[in-house]
Amino acid sequence: MASVAERLQVSPFMTFYIIMSMQIGVGVLGFQRVIAQTAGHDAWISVLLAGASSHLILIVLYWLLQQADGDFLLLHQRLFGRWVGGAFSLWLALYFAAMSFVVLRTYIEVIQVWMFPDLQTWEFSLAFLLLCLYITVGGFRVVVGICFFCLIIPSYLLFTFWFVLDHADFHLLLPILDHPPSAIVKAAGQTTLTMLGYETILLFYPFIKRGAQSAKWAHAALLATTLFYTLLTVLTLAYFSEKQLQRQIWPTLTMWKMVELPFIERFEYVGIANWLLIILPNVCLGLWCSSRICKQLFPIRQKTALLIIAAICFFSTLFVHDRKQVDLINTILNRTGFYFLYIWIPCVAVITYIVKKVRGNV
Amino acid sequence: MTAPPESVWTALQTLGSSMDFQTKVYRNETSGLLLWVSYVEPMVEMETVVRSIFPYLFHCPFSSLEDMRQILPIDDAYISSDPADVKAKLFEGYLFIRLHETDETGLLVKAQKTLERTLTIPEVEFSVVGPKESFIESLETNLYLLRKRIPIDRLTVKLTRVGTLSKTKVAVVYLDGIANPDNVQTVLQRIKQIEFDEMIDSSYIVQIISDNRHSPFPQLLDTERPDRVAAVLAEGKVAIMVDGSPHVLIGPTTLVEFFSSFEDYFLNWTIASFFRLIRLFSVAFSILITPMYVATLNYHYELIPKDLLGTLITSRREIPFPPILEVLFLELTIELLREAGARLPTKVGQTIGIVGGIVIGTASVEASLTSNVLLILVALAALASFTTPVYKMGNTIRLIRFPFLLFAEVWGLLGVAFCFCMVMTHLLYLTSLGRPFLAPLYPPRWRDLKDAFIRLPFTSQSKRPETLRTEQPIRFSGKKVRKKRDIDE
Repeated sequence: MASVAERLQVSPFMTFYIIMSMQIGVGVLGFQRVIAQTAGHDAWISVLLAGASSHLILIVLYWLLQQADGDFLLLHQRLFGRWVGGAFSLWLALYFAAMSFVVLRTYIEVIQVWMFPDLQTWEFSLAFLLLCLYITVGGFRVVVGICFFCLIIPSYLLFTFWFVLDHADFHLLLPILDHPPSAIVKAAGQTTLTMLGYETILLFYPFIKRGAQSAKWAHAALLATTLFYTLLTVLTLAYFSEKQLQRQIWPTLTMWKMVELPFIERFEYVGIANWLLIILPNVCLGLWCSSRICKQLFPIRQKTALLIIAAICFFSTLFVHDRKQVDLINTILNRTGFYFLYIWIPCVAVITYIVKKVRGNV
Repeated sequence: MTAPPESVWTALQTLGSSMDFQTKVYRNETSGLLLWVSYVEPMVEMETVVRSIFPYLFHCPFSSLEDMRQILPIDDAYISSDPADVKAKLFEGYLFIRLHETDETGLLVKAQKTLERTLTIPEVEFSVVGPKESFIESLETNLYLLRKRIPIDRLTVKLTRVGTLSKTKVAVVYLDGIANPDNVQTVLQRIKQIEFDEMIDSSYIVQIISDNRHSPFPQLLDTERPDRVAAVLAEGKVAIMVDGSPHVLIGPTTLVEFFSSFEDYFLNWTIASFFRLIRLFSVAFSILITPMYVATLNYHYELIPKDLLGTLITSRREIPFPPILEVLFLELTIELLREAGARLPTKVGQTIGIVGGIVIGTASVEASLTSNVLLILVALAALASFTTPVYKMGNTIRLIRFPFLLFAEVWGLLGVAFCFCMVMTHLLYLTSLGRPFLAPLYPPRWRDLKDAFIRLPFTSQSKRPETLRTEQPIRFSGKKVRKKRDIDE
């Protein structure tokens, strides 16, 4: 089950693009407010801390994958038995499906507030999920292609932050470290939602050629994401004062208002339209991972599982109506991801280690 | 489908129902033998027959078919009694000579008429510098043009016949030892599996053996320049030549090759790279400019800087239609002009083209049916779509503009981004002879980018493209160590 035909595999270099495109999602637009509420102008230290911890978790993930021979679901099965292990895997499938759904709904909310107030949730959701189905049905290689292009093409947006530098006052970051460490750590926990995405390695590891060599690319991706987020947080904290920041739900979008180009006036429209490219891999990979788990747990084809999960995502987007509910689903996903990565994975690692010592192998 | 085995006699009887099949009786003066000569008149070169064959037939002494064969100065002559073979050769322009009317065995003598176009300059892929030979419809001449440029034994030609009615000769050409055997096998196998009756042109073959038949993007490159084919064969590709078609197919191919004209290789690499980038920009411009016009004017007028906004609003003030209808009207007019111009005879076509273009354009602006800004944009976009050196890709580009327009009308800028993702996904699905179509972009082959968007000088091109997985990746030794000289040494 863990070995995949070579013609379906991708080179280890692509791990960089997959992980980085999964991590950079809809959270980038508005994560600064939450952490600034907890840690104030030291929030950038929280981001660095969260990034460092993600490296540690990634090491644990790779170790688990080596033990499980590339198949994480098999590990669940071996450790907890067929039914309980299957239940945990199913929960993981729900988690990935929820990730797709939350990302999509949050993005639709951004569009509805900033661009098209009359946009019906269902029409955009339907079209977008159909596009994601088209991509995912093509297989893992097409999904990776989308990850690749959807990271490279919007990368020009980095240059737009140059315009914000003019108005930034870095003195707002001083004095450093005058918040209690507990606040900084708490804020680090709150950035988990934006750092989520690399746990998909558990599912796509068999699709990477020479999987063990992909570790360096995965770590490079985490490093790049951490640096990007830290720089963005620093810039946000330098641009907005603390009170100002509390009033912005999407500080990144507000910062884009500063962009002055001779041929475009309001740049945030272009930015939001480009954001469609950035969230596309998130939703696609989430659907792909989820349907793959379902394929391995139940006797259904992956295409059928994919249709069902996409339908569930579509109907779920209809039930979320206003800002409060969007905020709620984001918080739930954040907490779930945090518990999965920082509590469940270490537990599984410890249990695997013990079982290995006792039994000799898993 | 197997016909019942017929004899030569019945075969000739069936053929006799056509007026152009002749059987004539001649007498050899020396030996007194009677000769029955059968041939299909339009296929035979009568001058050759009268000058080279008949004098020997009528005057030289011989007593059997074997003697005849020795005497005749024609090299391709052999004795046959197979009805299928006789029929096939009669239609190729051979003479069938028998000694008695009911004989089953006869001598087949080649007297083929070869009428073909003279070699002309390429019409579609014209280049200002460089050779100006182009392929013509005859397979033999095309092979001659190709072999002239690669005069080595490794240039392998595999011949098959395709088409039950047309029995077209199809030649698969590749460099043995350089081209990947998988690619060659794929091509040969697919051609062998073609089931078709009348194979007229190489574009029929493209449509049948393509990996993705339903895609508007062409997956095999077609060209009419022998120098281009020679160059890509040296890179390790496979060429398919079809008798009766001046277009030769090349595969496996990638998306970036459809935007490279062969003239790029004749110019200096800096200039060539600049032209390539202009071409890419013009393609992007051509696809996106009218959808952006529709999107910004419908939904995002705040994007336009306020000075330009004034011009746009004045140009649109009197127009009774929403931007999408304006754009569709103009786009359809341009497509109409193009289609009509393609079918009109030359003398009338030029006049109508100029009159139609200028008059319709100016008149529609004066009548306030369209705005002059949009007219400029649509005309520029149409021009830009013709910069693609491959005709088939130009058509695809014009076609893709319409879904973008539709999405721009529905969702504005978001729709344009959405449609772009759709097109990108579609391109990710495509393969050319099993190889990814978007290489060297995805999967990223960094070394192949030297010939994708820019063209690096020939000294950097010492390796063959990685995507082709050739058997000999090194073309020539690129580095010659030059002694480093200091200033004024």
